Amino acid sequence: MSSRSEIFGAIQALEKREIDHPGDFKSYKATQDVVGDFKNSLSIVGAICVDAENKQEAATRLSEIYPDLLRYTSHEVVSNGLDLEAIDVLEIDGMFGVSENGAIWLSDQFLPNRVAPFICQHLVIYVAKSEILATLHEAYERLDGNYADFGLFLSGPSKTADIEQSLVIGAHGARSLTIVLV
Amino acid sequence: MLNHAEASEKFIEDAERTTWHDETLWFVRSKRDKVSKLLPEWEALREQASLIKDHTLANLGQYLEEFESNAQKNGIKVHWAKDAQEHNEIVLSIISKHGGKALVKSKSMLTEECHLNDYLTKKGVEVVDTDLGERIVQFRNEVPSHIVLPAIHLKKEDVGETFHEFLGTPKGNKDPQFLTEAARQHLRGYFLGANVAITGVNFAVAETGEFVVCTNEGNADMGAHLAKVHIACMGIEKMIPKRKDLGVFLRLLARSATGQLITTYSSHFAKPREGQEMHIVLVDNGRTRQLARDEFRNSLKCIRCAACFNTCPVYRRSGGHSYHQPVAGPIGSILAPNFDKSANVDLPFASTLCGSCSNVCPVKINIHEQLWFWRQDLMKDGLAPLGKSLSMKGMAFVFSNPTIFKMAGYMGRLVMRFAPFIVNNSLNPWFKQREMPEAPKESFQSWYKNRK
Repeated sequence: MSSRSEIFGAIQALEKREIDHPGDFKSYKATQDVVGDFKNSLSIVGAICVDAENKQEAATRLSEIYPDLLRYTSHEVVSNGLDLEAIDVLEIDGMFGVSENGAIWLSDQFLPNRVAPFICQHLVIYVAKSEILATLHEAYERLDGNYADFGLFLSGPSKTADIEQSLVIGAHGARSLTIVLV
Repeated sequence: MLNHAEASEKFIEDAERTTWHDETLWFVRSKRDKVSKLLPEWEALREQASLIKDHTLANLGQYLEEFESNAQKNGIKVHWAKDAQEHNEIVLSIISKHGGKALVKSKSMLTEECHLNDYLTKKGVEVVDTDLGERIVQFRNEVPSHIVLPAIHLKKEDVGETFHEFLGTPKGNKDPQFLTEAARQHLRGYFLGANVAITGVNFAVAETGEFVVCTNEGNADMGAHLAKVHIACMGIEKMIPKRKDLGVFLRLLARSATGQLITTYSSHFAKPREGQEMHIVLVDNGRTRQLARDEFRNSLKCIRCAACFNTCPVYRRSGGHSYHQPVAGPIGSILAPNFDKSANVDLPFASTLCGSCSNVCPVKINIHEQLWFWRQDLMKDGLAPLGKSLSMKGMAFVFSNPTIFKMAGYMGRLVMRFAPFIVNNSLNPWFKQREMPEAPKESFQSWYKNRK
């Protein structure tokens, strides 16, 4: 007998128990100011937030944050066949943000490569202010039926506290994360 | 092998380090308290998570089938392993087809449970653990002492020494920032070169056939997205019915584990990328046995956040290695007897039954009750050490005979007043690290009778 049928056999041999799924969770009415809360969460998770009036201003702020580094967009990475490992700053688009935890949903439809947001040294994500949701429940509501081949919630730069619980930013992934609100 | 009490005794020899360990984990517990209290629906979320797991465990067969069929539709290869041995063989057979000197592995408690590293190393495969804490303990030929903070038993001086030896960092450098950077450079080479990446699984979604892996470092993703082959290993209890259920569990997991709002990366793997092979190994290894036991079934709800470790007064002062199991702490103590009762007979006793573990558990597992159930089960099986069963029998005899009970109380008070050396010596385990109390002049009973 295969292990598969052994496992299923063992489960089926158990007494049937009728327990219903509790249904979708209704989050409590939380916040009026999703963008304000989102900014607050970003500071907790160690991300830099750029709240710019327009693209020009955002570009100026980014040059101040990453003064000596070249910045590439997703499009440039793909069309120029750039070596991802060598990229200092990568600029990508996020689909929406979640105010309770500062996470941004990224889907591989909008990434030059799945590893891109992890392997670059610094990451910049653009997300629309109108696309900030309150909680993860609303986020999954929003994703309902939209099944990316690969997608993730990304919140803050890569970090670790494995050495004596001292927080170190920049473990394996991006050393810094800047969120540009547009 | 030392039992829990013996190993703890070694751990606490270094009083300063024990205090540090205790306080650091308590600090993590306090962070958990702080962020959880920011959510007015925290208790409702715990209840919801517990109910979803109840429902899933009652319908596990159906959800496993649904998951398998959806994952296969997504182009993922699904494997089934009844035990650790078979799991290891499956992983090796996949690796053998693709070659390569080294494979990169992110944290997976299941592979620890199956002793995959040992198995693969013996077969000539170099396993590189990529989680920083796991890499540190791997260099030191140790095992993780905590499922979320694998190197919490070490101080930065220890890590500095280890990195000096294995990575050539300057002797005496113990700066966490510097050491982390050294590990980043060291592991990047492996990420770029590895053919095969192994990850664990935090949640597997039946509805979509996808699985979610959570890390803070980004090591699971670095491995999985660069390698030609991704093998994800999971216990069959990691199943959840629907994608929307993830909202509940992701809100609870990091807040309970480290007091973070969410892990840095919560990656949803549904399909392999172009040209990549993706495998999932679903492992039983005793889980269906646990599923059949009414009093222990709830232990399968665990999402491995380790909140019960951080809050446990015994774990904090005895260290993870004293549990001699891949999963230590209170939850490990109720999982371990399912694998091997006689080898783990000490673990359900490594607790004060204070119940703090059950109070912080995000999926509301009745951990302290199960510890107590296991004690009864192990005693009935005659597995308790002779001293323990004799003293229990002695106590039962005394407590059920009022005259003898009164006598014993009288004698006890007399001895402690006039011949304290009889109890104040190393033969009495209660005398270790503690003064015996002053004996009262009379018993409660006599006081009650004589009160005016």
